[in-house]
Amino acid sequence: MQTIVIAKRVITQLKGDKRFLILSIVAPVIIVYFLKLMFNALTKLTVVPMPEMFPMPLPQLSTEKFVMPVTAFIVHFLSFILCSILLVQERTRGTLERMLISGYKKSSIILGYVVGYFGLATIQSVVILTEAIYLFDLNFDGKTLVILFMVIWMLAIVSVMLGIFISTFARNEGHIFPFIPLIILPSLFLTGVIVDANELPKVAEIIGYLLPLRYANNIIQIIGKPDYVLSEVILNFGILLGYATALWFLASKTMKETE
Amino acid sequence: MNAVNIKGLTKNYGKNEVLKHIDLEVPEGVIYGLIGPNGAGKTTLIKALVGALKPTQGSVEVFGLEPIKNRWELRKKIGYMPQSPALYTDISARRNITFFGRAQKIINLEEKVQKILEFTELENRADEPVRTFSGGMQKRVSLACALIHEPKILFLDEPTAAVDPHLKQRSWQLFRSLAKTGVTLFISTHLMDEAMLCDKITILKDGEMLAVNTPENILSMGKTRIELIRNGERLKTEISSKPADLLSELKKFGLDRSIENIKINSDNIEDVVLSIINNKK
Ligand SMILES: Nc1ncnc2c1ncn2[C@@H]1O[C@H](COP(=O)(O)OP(=O)(O)OP(=O)(O)O)[C@@H](O)[C@H]1O
Ligand SMILES: [Mg+2]
Repeated sequence: MQTIVIAKRVITQLKGDKRFLILSIVAPVIIVYFLKLMFNALTKLTVVPMPEMFPMPLPQLSTEKFVMPVTAFIVHFLSFILCSILLVQERTRGTLERMLISGYKKSSIILGYVVGYFGLATIQSVVILTEAIYLFDLNFDGKTLVILFMVIWMLAIVSVMLGIFISTFARNEGHIFPFIPLIILPSLFLTGVIVDANELPKVAEIIGYLLPLRYANNIIQIIGKPDYVLSEVILNFGILLGYATALWFLASKTMKETE
Repeated sequence: MNAVNIKGLTKNYGKNEVLKHIDLEVPEGVIYGLIGPNGAGKTTLIKALVGALKPTQGSVEVFGLEPIKNRWELRKKIGYMPQSPALYTDISARRNITFFGRAQKIINLEEKVQKILEFTELENRADEPVRTFSGGMQKRVSLACALIHEPKILFLDEPTAAVDPHLKQRSWQLFRSLAKTGVTLFISTHLMDEAMLCDKITILKDGEMLAVNTPENILSMGKTRIELIRNGERLKTEISSKPADLLSELKKFGLDRSIENIKINSDNIEDVVLSIINNKK
Protein backbone atom coordinates (compact mmCIF):
# COMPACT_ATOMS: atom_id res chain seq x y z
CA MET A 1 0.00 0.00 0.00
CA GLN A 2 2.70 2.50 1.04
CA THR A 3 4.72 1.29 -1.94
CA ILE A 4 1.94 2.24 -4.36
CA VAL A 5 1.57 5.69 -2.77
CA ILE A 6 5.29 6.36 -3.12
CA ALA A 7 5.34 4.99 -6.67
CA LYS A 8 2.51 7.32 -7.64
CA ARG A 9 4.32 10.28 -6.18
CA VAL A 10 7.53 9.35 -7.99
CA ILE A 11 5.57 9.18 -11.26
CA THR A 12 3.90 12.58 -10.71
CA GLN A 13 7.26 14.01 -9.85
CA LEU A 14 8.94 12.49 -12.90
CA LYS A 15 6.19 13.85 -15.11
CA GLY A 16 6.67 17.29 -13.60
CA ASP A 17 10.43 17.31 -14.05
CA LYS A 18 11.20 18.02 -17.70
CA ARG A 19 14.97 17.83 -17.29
CA PHE A 20 14.67 14.39 -15.84
CA LEU A 21 12.45 13.15 -18.66
CA ILE A 22 14.78 14.58 -21.28
CA LEU A 23 17.79 13.02 -19.60
CA SER A 24 16.20 9.60 -19.40
CA ILE A 25 14.61 9.40 -22.88
CA VAL A 26 16.19 11.95 -25.19
CA ALA A 27 19.75 11.48 -23.95
CA PRO A 28 19.92 7.73 -24.67
CA VAL A 29 18.35 8.31 -28.09
CA ILE A 30 21.08 10.79 -28.96
CA ILE A 31 23.82 8.59 -27.54
CA VAL A 32 22.68 5.61 -29.61
CA TYR A 33 22.72 7.87 -32.65
CA PHE A 34 26.32 8.87 -31.81
CA LEU A 35 27.09 5.18 -31.57
CA LYS A 36 25.80 4.78 -35.11
CA LEU A 37 28.00 7.63 -36.30
CA MET A 38 31.00 6.00 -34.65
CA PHE A 39 30.18 2.71 -36.35
CA ASN A 40 29.91 4.34 -39.72
CA ALA A 41 33.42 5.71 -39.23
CA LEU A 42 34.70 2.35 -37.94
CA THR A 43 33.41 0.33 -40.87
CA LYS A 44 35.09 2.75 -43.26
CA LEU A 45 38.34 2.26 -41.36
CA THR A 46 38.19 -1.51 -41.29
CA VAL A 47 37.23 -1.91 -44.92
CA VAL A 48 39.92 0.30 -46.40
CA PRO A 49 43.18 -1.35 -45.11
CA MET A 50 44.94 -4.01 -47.12
CA PRO A 51 43.47 -7.48 -46.65
CA GLU A 52 46.91 -9.12 -46.06
CA MET A 53 47.68 -6.97 -43.05
CA PHE A 54 44.21 -7.05 -41.56
CA PRO A 55 42.83 -10.38 -42.60
CA MET A 56 39.73 -9.75 -40.53
CA PRO A 57 38.19 -6.63 -39.07
CA LEU A 58 38.39 -6.59 -35.26
CA PRO A 59 35.94 -9.34 -34.37
CA GLN A 60 34.42 -7.57 -31.39
CA LEU A 61 33.39 -4.63 -33.47
CA SER A 62 30.83 -6.47 -35.49
CA THR A 63 27.59 -4.60 -35.02
CA GLU A 64 25.50 -7.53 -33.75
CA LYS A 65 27.93 -8.23 -30.95
CA PHE A 66 28.49 -4.63 -30.04
CA VAL A 67 25.32 -2.64 -30.37
CA MET A 68 23.12 -4.42 -27.85
CA PRO A 69 25.68 -4.51 -25.02
CA VAL A 70 26.40 -0.82 -25.52
CA THR A 71 22.69 -0.07 -25.55
CA ALA A 72 22.32 -2.05 -22.34
CA PHE A 73 25.23 -0.11 -20.86
CA ILE A 74 23.64 3.25 -21.67
CA VAL A 75 20.40 2.25 -19.98
CA HIS A 76 22.32 0.89 -17.00
CA PHE A 77 24.39 4.03 -16.59
CA LEU A 78 21.55 6.52 -16.94
CA SER A 79 19.07 4.71 -14.71
CA PHE A 80 21.73 4.29 -12.05
CA ILE A 81 22.77 7.94 -12.05
CA LEU A 82 19.28 9.39 -12.29
CA CYS A 83 17.84 7.27 -9.55
CA SER A 84 20.69 7.74 -7.13
CA ILE A 85 20.54 11.50 -7.62
CA LEU A 86 16.77 11.53 -7.14
CA LEU A 87 17.13 9.71 -3.86
CA VAL A 88 20.05 11.79 -2.61
CA GLN A 89 17.91 14.85 -3.31
CA GLU A 90 15.29 13.41 -0.99
CA ARG A 91 17.96 13.26 1.67
CA THR A 92 19.35 16.77 1.17
CA ARG A 93 15.87 18.31 0.99
CA GLY A 94 14.80 16.55 4.16
CA THR A 95 11.86 14.78 2.53
CA LEU A 96 13.39 11.37 3.22
CA GLU A 97 13.58 12.16 6.93
CA ARG A 98 10.05 13.47 6.78
CA MET A 99 8.76 10.34 5.02
CA LEU A 100 10.32 8.14 7.69
CA ILE A 101 8.96 10.22 10.56
CA SER A 102 5.53 10.32 8.93
CA GLY A 103 5.52 6.54 9.09
CA TYR A 104 6.79 5.28 5.72
CA LYS A 105 8.91 2.15 5.92
CA LYS A 106 12.35 2.06 4.34
CA SER A 107 11.55 -1.05 2.33
CA SER A 108 8.37 0.57 0.96
CA ILE A 109 10.31 3.68 -0.03
CA ILE A 110 12.82 1.66 -2.03
CA LEU A 111 10.21 -0.55 -3.64
CA GLY A 112 8.06 2.50 -4.36
CA TYR A 113 10.91 4.03 -6.30
CA VAL A 114 11.37 0.89 -8.34
CA VAL A 115 7.67 0.55 -9.10
CA GLY A 116 7.47 4.25 -9.92
CA TYR A 117 10.38 3.85 -12.30
CA PHE A 118 8.79 0.83 -14.07
CA GLY A 119 6.92 3.01 -16.53
CA LEU A 120 9.89 5.13 -17.42
CA ALA A 121 12.08 2.04 -17.72
CA THR A 122 9.53 0.52 -20.09
CA ILE A 123 9.40 3.59 -22.32
CA GLN A 124 13.17 3.87 -22.18
CA SER A 125 13.69 0.25 -23.23
CA VAL A 126 11.15 0.35 -26.05
CA VAL A 127 12.46 3.61 -27.47
CA ILE A 128 16.12 2.74 -27.31
CA LEU A 129 15.64 -0.79 -28.68
CA THR A 130 13.50 0.40 -31.57
CA GLU A 131 16.05 3.02 -32.43
CA ALA A 132 19.01 0.64 -32.26
CA ILE A 133 17.24 -1.96 -34.41
CA TYR A 134 16.25 0.65 -36.97
CA LEU A 135 19.61 2.47 -37.13
CA PHE A 136 21.73 -0.66 -37.29
CA ASP A 137 19.32 -2.58 -39.45
CA LEU A 138 19.27 -5.54 -37.09
CA ASN A 139 17.06 -8.56 -37.64
CA PHE A 140 15.63 -10.47 -34.73
CA ASP A 141 12.81 -12.96 -34.59
CA GLY A 142 9.87 -12.23 -32.30
CA LYS A 143 11.06 -14.37 -29.41
CA THR A 144 14.54 -12.83 -29.39
CA LEU A 145 13.05 -9.38 -29.56
CA VAL A 146 10.89 -10.04 -26.53
CA ILE A 147 13.89 -11.35 -24.60
CA LEU A 148 15.99 -8.35 -25.64
CA PHE A 149 13.33 -5.98 -24.43
CA MET A 150 13.06 -7.85 -21.16
CA VAL A 151 16.82 -7.76 -20.63
CA ILE A 152 17.03 -4.00 -21.09
CA TRP A 153 13.99 -3.52 -18.90
CA MET A 154 15.21 -5.84 -16.17
CA LEU A 155 18.58 -4.12 -16.28
CA ALA A 156 16.92 -0.74 -15.80
CA ILE A 157 15.22 -2.07 -12.67
CA VAL A 158 18.46 -3.50 -11.28
CA SER A 159 20.18 -0.20 -12.03
CA VAL A 160 17.52 1.65 -10.07
CA MET A 161 18.12 -0.66 -7.13
CA LEU A 162 21.87 -0.15 -7.43
CA GLY A 163 21.36 3.60 -7.58
CA ILE A 164 19.24 3.53 -4.42
CA PHE A 165 21.73 1.30 -2.64
CA ILE A 166 24.66 3.57 -3.52
CA SER A 167 22.68 6.67 -2.57
CA THR A 168 22.35 5.38 0.97
CA PHE A 169 26.08 6.07 1.36
CA ALA A 170 25.85 9.61 0.05
CA ARG A 171 24.96 12.74 1.98
CA ASN A 172 24.78 14.94 -1.11
CA GLU A 173 24.84 14.73 -4.89
CA GLY A 174 28.62 15.18 -4.94
CA HIS A 175 29.09 11.91 -3.09
CA ILE A 176 27.61 10.01 -6.03
CA PHE A 177 30.39 10.94 -8.41
CA PRO A 178 33.14 8.75 -6.92
CA PHE A 179 30.93 5.74 -7.60
CA ILE A 180 30.84 6.41 -11.32
CA PRO A 181 34.42 5.29 -11.94
CA LEU A 182 34.04 2.61 -9.25
CA ILE A 183 30.99 0.86 -10.68
CA ILE A 184 30.21 2.18 -14.09
CA LEU A 185 33.65 2.05 -15.72
CA PRO A 186 34.39 -1.53 -14.62
CA SER A 187 30.98 -2.41 -16.03
CA LEU A 188 32.06 -0.98 -19.34
CA PHE A 189 35.43 -2.78 -19.39
CA LEU A 190 34.80 -6.07 -17.64
CA THR A 191 31.33 -7.32 -18.50
CA GLY A 192 31.59 -7.92 -22.19
CA VAL A 193 30.53 -4.57 -23.57
CA ILE A 194 33.78 -3.94 -25.46
CA VAL A 195 35.64 -7.23 -25.21
CA ASP A 196 34.43 -10.74 -24.59
CA ALA A 197 34.43 -11.12 -20.80
CA ASN A 198 35.61 -14.72 -21.06
CA GLU A 199 38.88 -13.56 -22.59
CA LEU A 200 39.75 -11.46 -19.52
CA PRO A 201 42.22 -12.52 -16.81
CA LYS A 202 40.61 -14.48 -13.97
CA VAL A 203 40.52 -11.59 -11.45
CA ALA A 204 38.92 -9.24 -13.94
CA GLU A 205 36.41 -11.90 -14.89
CA ILE A 206 35.46 -12.42 -11.24
CA ILE A 207 34.99 -8.68 -10.75
CA GLY A 208 32.83 -8.71 -13.84
CA TYR A 209 30.63 -11.37 -12.27
CA LEU A 210 29.95 -9.00 -9.37
CA LEU A 211 28.43 -6.45 -11.71
CA PRO A 212 24.85 -6.77 -12.93
CA LEU A 213 25.68 -5.75 -16.49
CA ARG A 214 27.59 -9.03 -16.87
CA TYR A 215 24.38 -11.05 -16.67
CA ALA A 216 22.51 -8.80 -19.06
CA ASN A 217 25.36 -9.19 -21.52
CA ASN A 218 25.36 -12.95 -20.98
CA ILE A 219 21.75 -13.05 -22.14
CA ILE A 220 22.53 -10.82 -25.11
CA GLN A 221 25.42 -13.14 -26.07
CA ILE A 222 23.30 -16.25 -25.67
CA ILE A 223 20.44 -15.06 -27.83
CA GLY A 224 22.96 -13.93 -30.45
CA LYS A 225 23.67 -17.59 -31.21
CA PRO A 226 21.35 -19.19 -33.77
CA ASP A 227 20.05 -22.05 -31.61
CA TYR A 228 20.18 -21.05 -27.99
CA VAL A 229 18.74 -22.85 -25.03
CA LEU A 230 16.05 -20.91 -23.22
CA SER A 231 17.03 -22.32 -19.82
CA GLU A 232 20.38 -20.50 -19.99
CA VAL A 233 18.54 -17.26 -20.61
CA ILE A 234 16.21 -17.91 -17.71
CA LEU A 235 19.16 -18.69 -15.44
CA ASN A 236 20.71 -15.29 -16.13
CA PHE A 237 17.37 -13.57 -15.65
CA GLY A 238 17.12 -15.37 -12.35
CA ILE A 239 20.52 -14.02 -11.32
CA LEU A 240 19.46 -10.48 -12.25
CA LEU A 241 16.29 -10.89 -10.24
CA GLY A 242 18.31 -12.21 -7.30
CA TYR A 243 20.67 -9.29 -7.69
CA ALA A 244 17.76 -6.83 -7.50
CA THR A 245 16.27 -8.56 -4.45
CA ALA A 246 19.63 -8.60 -2.68
CA LEU A 247 20.10 -4.90 -3.39
CA TRP A 248 16.64 -4.15 -2.07
CA PHE A 249 17.43 -6.02 1.12
CA LEU A 250 20.85 -4.39 1.49
CA ALA A 251 19.59 -0.89 0.77
CA SER A 252 16.87 -1.17 3.40
CA LYS A 253 19.64 -2.14 5.83
CA THR A 254 22.09 0.60 4.85
CA MET A 255 19.55 3.41 4.52
CA LYS A 256 20.10 5.49 7.64
CA GLU A 257 17.07 6.36 9.69
CA THR A 258 18.90 8.28 12.41
CA GLU A 259 21.91 10.54 12.61
CA MET B 1 1.86 12.17 32.43
CA ASN B 2 4.28 14.57 30.81
CA ALA B 3 4.24 14.84 27.04
CA VAL B 4 8.05 14.91 26.98
CA ASN B 5 10.59 13.64 29.49
CA ILE B 6 14.28 14.15 28.84
CA LYS B 7 16.92 12.96 31.27
CA GLY B 8 20.62 13.61 30.91
CA LEU B 9 20.44 13.91 27.13
CA THR B 10 23.89 14.36 25.59
CA LYS B 11 24.78 14.38 21.92
CA ASN B 12 28.30 14.43 20.55
CA TYR B 13 29.38 14.92 16.99
CA GLY B 14 32.92 13.64 17.22
CA LYS B 15 34.54 15.71 19.95
CA ASN B 16 31.94 18.43 19.64
CA GLU B 17 29.40 18.24 22.48
CA VAL B 18 26.26 19.67 20.91
CA LEU B 19 23.82 18.87 23.72
CA LYS B 20 25.12 18.80 27.27
CA HIS B 21 23.20 16.76 29.80
CA ILE B 22 19.76 18.19 29.10
CA ASP B 23 16.94 17.54 31.58
CA LEU B 24 13.55 18.71 30.44
CA GLU B 25 9.88 18.07 31.13
CA VAL B 26 7.05 19.28 28.95
CA PRO B 27 3.56 19.04 30.44
CA GLU B 28 0.74 17.97 28.16
CA GLY B 29 -1.30 20.61 26.35
CA VAL B 30 1.08 23.55 26.62
CA ILE B 31 3.01 25.62 24.13
CA TYR B 32 6.62 25.07 25.05
CA GLY B 33 9.25 27.38 23.61
CA LEU B 34 12.83 26.40 22.95
CA ILE B 35 14.70 29.69 22.67
CA GLY B 36 18.29 29.92 21.56
CA PRO B 37 20.67 31.56 19.11
CA ASN B 38 22.04 29.90 15.95
CA GLY B 39 23.94 26.73 16.74
CA ALA B 40 22.47 26.39 20.24
CA GLY B 41 21.33 22.83 19.52
CA LYS B 42 17.60 23.41 18.98
CA THR B 43 17.35 21.30 15.82
CA THR B 44 19.48 18.58 17.38
CA LEU B 45 17.19 18.42 20.42
CA ILE B 46 14.05 18.26 18.28
CA LYS B 47 15.55 15.53 16.10
CA ALA B 48 16.27 13.48 19.19
CA LEU B 49 12.62 13.88 20.20
CA VAL B 50 11.18 12.77 16.85
CA GLY B 51 13.52 9.79 16.60
CA ALA B 52 15.70 11.11 13.80
CA LEU B 53 18.80 11.18 15.94
CA LYS B 54 20.40 8.73 18.32
CA PRO B 55 21.38 10.30 21.65
CA THR B 56 24.96 9.71 22.74
CA GLN B 57 23.76 9.45 26.34
CA GLY B 58 20.64 9.88 28.38
CA SER B 59 17.02 9.04 27.80
CA VAL B 60 14.23 10.66 25.83
CA GLU B 61 10.56 9.84 26.19
CA VAL B 62 7.53 11.18 24.36
CA PHE B 63 4.26 10.11 25.98
CA GLY B 64 6.27 7.53 27.86
CA LEU B 65 7.60 6.00 24.63
CA GLU B 66 11.14 5.97 23.27
CA PRO B 67 11.27 7.78 19.93
CA ILE B 68 13.54 5.25 18.22
CA LYS B 69 12.55 2.00 19.90
CA ASN B 70 8.79 2.63 19.82
CA ARG B 71 8.78 4.56 16.57
CA TRP B 72 5.82 2.84 14.96
CA GLU B 73 3.59 3.59 17.91
CA LEU B 74 4.88 7.13 18.24
CA ARG B 75 4.65 8.17 14.63
CA LYS B 76 0.88 8.31 14.88
CA LYS B 77 1.15 10.72 17.79
CA ILE B 78 3.86 13.12 16.67
CA GLY B 79 3.86 15.79 14.01
CA TYR B 80 7.19 17.20 12.88
CA MET B 81 7.88 20.35 10.92
CA PRO B 82 11.57 20.46 10.01
CA GLN B 83 13.53 23.70 9.84
CA SER B 84 13.82 23.52 6.03
CA PRO B 85 10.48 23.13 4.23
CA ALA B 86 11.13 19.47 3.23
CA LEU B 87 8.48 19.43 0.51
CA TYR B 88 8.24 18.16 -3.06
CA THR B 89 8.39 21.45 -4.86
CA ASP B 90 7.27 20.11 -8.25
CA ILE B 91 3.92 18.95 -6.92
CA SER B 92 1.02 20.87 -5.44
CA ALA B 93 0.41 21.73 -1.80
CA ARG B 94 -2.58 19.40 -1.75
CA ARG B 95 -0.56 16.50 -3.15
CA ASN B 96 2.24 17.12 -0.65
CA ILE B 97 -0.12 17.05 2.31
CA THR B 98 -1.99 14.02 0.97
CA PHE B 99 1.27 12.18 0.33
CA PHE B 100 2.56 12.56 3.88
CA GLY B 101 -0.91 11.75 5.18
CA ARG B 102 -0.97 8.44 3.30
CA ALA B 103 1.95 7.15 5.36
CA GLN B 104 -0.70 6.19 7.88
CA LYS B 105 -4.20 4.93 7.61
CA ILE B 106 -6.36 8.01 7.82
CA ILE B 107 -10.06 7.83 7.17
CA ASN B 108 -11.58 10.60 5.04
CA LEU B 109 -8.12 11.79 4.11
CA GLU B 110 -9.28 14.03 1.26
CA GLU B 111 -11.75 15.81 3.50
CA LYS B 112 -9.10 16.31 6.16
CA VAL B 113 -6.63 17.68 3.64
CA GLN B 114 -9.23 20.20 2.53
CA LYS B 115 -9.90 21.23 6.14
CA ILE B 116 -6.22 21.70 6.85
CA LEU B 117 -5.77 23.72 3.66
CA GLU B 118 -8.48 26.04 4.93
CA PHE B 119 -7.07 26.12 8.44
CA THR B 120 -3.64 27.17 7.11
CA GLU B 121 -5.24 29.57 4.60
CA LEU B 122 -3.81 27.81 1.59
CA GLU B 123 -7.02 26.79 -0.18
CA ASN B 124 -6.69 29.47 -2.88
CA ARG B 125 -3.46 28.05 -4.21
CA ALA B 126 -3.80 24.47 -3.04
CA ASP B 127 -3.35 22.99 -6.50
CA GLU B 128 -0.37 24.98 -7.65
CA PRO B 129 3.14 23.55 -7.45
CA VAL B 130 4.88 24.45 -4.21
CA ARG B 131 7.89 25.88 -6.03
CA THR B 132 5.75 28.87 -7.02
CA PHE B 133 5.02 29.66 -3.35
CA SER B 134 6.77 32.29 -1.23
CA GLY B 135 8.93 31.16 1.66
CA GLY B 136 6.23 31.94 4.19
CA MET B 137 3.62 29.96 2.26
CA GLN B 138 5.97 26.99 1.96
CA LYS B 139 6.31 27.09 5.75
CA ARG B 140 2.54 26.83 6.00
CA VAL B 141 2.43 23.87 3.63
CA SER B 142 5.11 22.28 5.76
CA LEU B 143 3.02 22.92 8.88
CA ALA B 144 -0.03 21.46 7.17
CA CYS B 145 1.94 18.28 6.39
CA ALA B 146 2.83 17.99 10.07
CA LEU B 147 -0.83 18.39 11.09
CA ILE B 148 -2.51 16.00 8.69
CA HIS B 149 -2.66 12.96 10.95
CA GLU B 150 -3.90 15.03 13.92
CA PRO B 151 -0.90 14.41 16.17
CA LYS B 152 -1.05 14.79 19.95
CA ILE B 153 2.27 16.62 20.00
CA LEU B 154 3.79 18.91 17.41
CA PHE B 155 7.49 19.60 17.06
CA LEU B 156 7.97 22.79 15.09
CA ASP B 157 11.52 23.80 14.24
CA GLU B 158 11.58 27.58 13.73
CA PRO B 159 8.13 27.72 12.15
CA THR B 160 8.10 31.50 11.94
CA ALA B 161 11.65 32.24 10.83
CA ALA B 162 11.57 34.51 7.76
CA VAL B 163 7.81 34.98 8.06
CA ASP B 164 6.41 38.52 7.96
CA PRO B 165 4.88 40.04 11.14
CA HIS B 166 1.29 39.65 9.99
CA LEU B 167 1.70 36.02 9.07
CA LYS B 168 3.66 35.42 12.23
CA GLN B 169 0.75 36.68 14.26
CA ARG B 170 -1.61 34.43 12.30
CA SER B 171 0.69 31.46 12.89
CA TRP B 172 0.65 32.03 16.62
CA GLN B 173 -3.13 32.26 16.56
CA LEU B 174 -3.08 28.87 14.84
CA PHE B 175 -0.72 27.44 17.45
CA ARG B 176 -2.90 28.76 20.27
CA SER B 177 -6.05 27.29 18.75
CA LEU B 178 -4.30 23.93 18.42
CA ALA B 179 -3.18 24.09 22.04
CA LYS B 180 -6.78 24.75 23.06
CA THR B 181 -7.77 21.40 21.57
CA GLY B 182 -5.24 19.70 23.85
CA VAL B 183 -2.33 19.41 21.43
CA THR B 184 1.12 19.93 22.95
CA LEU B 185 3.35 22.22 20.90
CA PHE B 186 7.12 22.21 21.17
CA ILE B 187 8.38 25.20 19.22
CA SER B 188 11.94 26.32 18.64
CA THR B 189 12.77 29.91 17.77
CA HIS B 190 15.60 32.38 17.88
CA LEU B 191 13.11 35.27 18.00
CA MET B 192 12.97 36.43 21.61
CA ASP B 193 9.67 38.25 21.27
CA GLU B 194 7.98 34.93 20.54
CA ALA B 195 8.99 33.71 23.98
CA MET B 196 6.18 35.78 25.52
CA LEU B 197 3.64 33.81 23.48
CA CYS B 198 4.63 30.48 25.01
CA ASP B 199 3.32 28.98 28.23
CA LYS B 200 6.78 27.93 29.27
CA ILE B 201 10.24 28.44 27.83
CA THR B 202 13.70 26.97 27.97
CA ILE B 203 16.72 29.00 27.01
CA LEU B 204 19.37 26.96 25.24
CA LYS B 205 22.90 28.13 24.49
CA ASP B 206 25.83 26.01 23.28
CA GLY B 207 23.92 22.87 24.15
CA GLU B 208 23.28 23.95 27.74
CA MET B 209 19.98 24.82 29.35
CA LEU B 210 20.30 28.20 31.01
CA ALA B 211 16.79 28.74 32.34
CA VAL B 212 13.40 27.07 32.42
CA ASN B 213 10.43 29.13 33.41
CA THR B 214 7.26 30.86 32.37
CA PRO B 215 7.94 33.89 30.17
CA GLU B 216 6.43 36.16 32.84
CA ASN B 217 8.90 34.92 35.44
CA ILE B 218 11.76 35.26 33.01
CA LEU B 219 10.64 38.77 32.24
CA SER B 220 10.51 39.63 35.93
CA MET B 221 14.19 38.72 36.19
CA GLY B 222 14.73 41.86 34.18
CA LYS B 223 15.59 45.29 35.51
CA THR B 224 13.76 48.59 35.41
CA ARG B 225 15.77 51.76 35.21
CA ILE B 226 14.30 54.95 36.57
CA GLU B 227 15.61 58.38 35.78
CA LEU B 228 14.23 61.35 37.72
CA ILE B 229 15.00 64.96 37.31
CA ARG B 230 14.48 66.94 40.53
CA ASN B 231 15.38 70.61 40.74
CA GLY B 232 17.51 70.18 37.68
CA GLU B 233 19.36 67.26 39.30
CA ARG B 234 19.43 63.92 37.52
CA LEU B 235 18.75 60.84 39.75
CA LYS B 236 19.18 57.32 38.40
CA THR B 237 18.18 54.03 40.07
CA GLU B 238 17.85 50.47 38.92
CA ILE B 239 15.25 48.16 40.45
CA SER B 240 13.59 44.86 39.55
CA SER B 241 10.81 44.82 37.00
CA LYS B 242 8.13 43.89 39.56
CA PRO B 243 5.34 46.52 39.56
CA ALA B 244 5.36 46.62 43.37
CA ASP B 245 9.03 47.60 43.41
CA LEU B 246 8.38 50.45 41.04
CA LEU B 247 5.67 51.75 43.30
CA SER B 248 7.77 51.65 46.45
CA GLU B 249 10.67 53.23 44.65
CA LEU B 250 8.54 56.13 43.50
CA LYS B 251 7.00 56.51 46.94
CA LYS B 252 10.41 57.56 48.21
CA PHE B 253 10.06 60.70 46.20
CA GLY B 254 6.48 61.28 47.26
CA LEU B 255 6.08 62.59 43.75
CA ASP B 256 6.82 66.09 44.84
CA ARG B 257 6.13 69.08 42.74
CA SER B 258 9.75 69.73 41.94
CA ILE B 259 9.91 66.54 39.89
CA GLU B 260 9.93 67.67 36.33
CA ASN B 261 10.32 64.42 34.52
CA ILE B 262 10.44 60.65 35.11
CA LYS B 263 11.87 58.19 32.62
CA ILE B 264 11.17 54.52 33.17
CA ASN B 265 12.91 51.93 31.06
CA SER B 266 12.09 48.29 31.67
CA ASP B 267 13.88 45.33 30.11
CA ASN B 268 11.79 43.52 27.58
CA ILE B 269 11.93 39.75 27.19
CA GLU B 270 14.63 40.05 24.57
CA ASP B 271 16.87 42.03 26.94
CA VAL B 272 16.37 39.49 29.71
CA VAL B 273 16.99 36.46 27.53
CA LEU B 274 20.06 38.07 26.00
CA SER B 275 21.44 38.95 29.40
CA ILE B 276 20.92 35.34 30.55
CA ILE B 277 22.72 34.15 27.45
CA ASN B 278 25.53 36.67 27.73
CA ASN B 279 26.12 36.08 31.44
CA LYS B 280 26.92 32.48 30.58
CA LYS B 281 29.78 33.47 28.29
N1 LIG C 1 25.47 16.32 11.45
C1 LIG C 1 26.25 17.12 12.20
N2 LIG C 1 27.57 16.88 12.29
C2 LIG C 1 28.37 17.66 13.07
N3 LIG C 1 27.94 18.72 13.75
C3 LIG C 1 26.64 19.02 13.70
C4 LIG C 1 25.73 18.24 12.92
N4 LIG C 1 24.49 18.78 13.05
C5 LIG C 1 24.64 19.84 13.86
N5 LIG C 1 25.93 19.99 14.25
C6 LIG C 1 26.44 21.03 15.16
O1 LIG C 1 25.64 21.05 16.31
C7 LIG C 1 25.45 22.36 16.78
C8 LIG C 1 23.98 22.63 17.00
O2 LIG C 1 23.31 22.58 15.75
P1 LIG C 1 21.76 22.76 15.61
O3 LIG C 1 21.43 22.63 14.18
O4 LIG C 1 21.07 21.86 16.55
O5 LIG C 1 21.58 24.27 16.08
P2 LIG C 1 20.26 25.16 16.03
O6 LIG C 1 20.06 25.66 17.42
O7 LIG C 1 19.16 24.42 15.42
O8 LIG C 1 20.73 26.36 15.13
P3 LIG C 1 19.89 27.24 14.04
O9 LIG C 1 19.18 28.30 14.80
O10 LIG C 1 20.95 27.81 13.18
O11 LIG C 1 18.98 26.31 13.33
C9 LIG C 1 26.11 23.29 15.78
O12 LIG C 1 27.34 23.72 16.30
C10 LIG C 1 26.31 22.42 14.57
O13 LIG C 1 27.48 22.80 13.90
MG1 LIG D 1 18.07 24.66 13.77
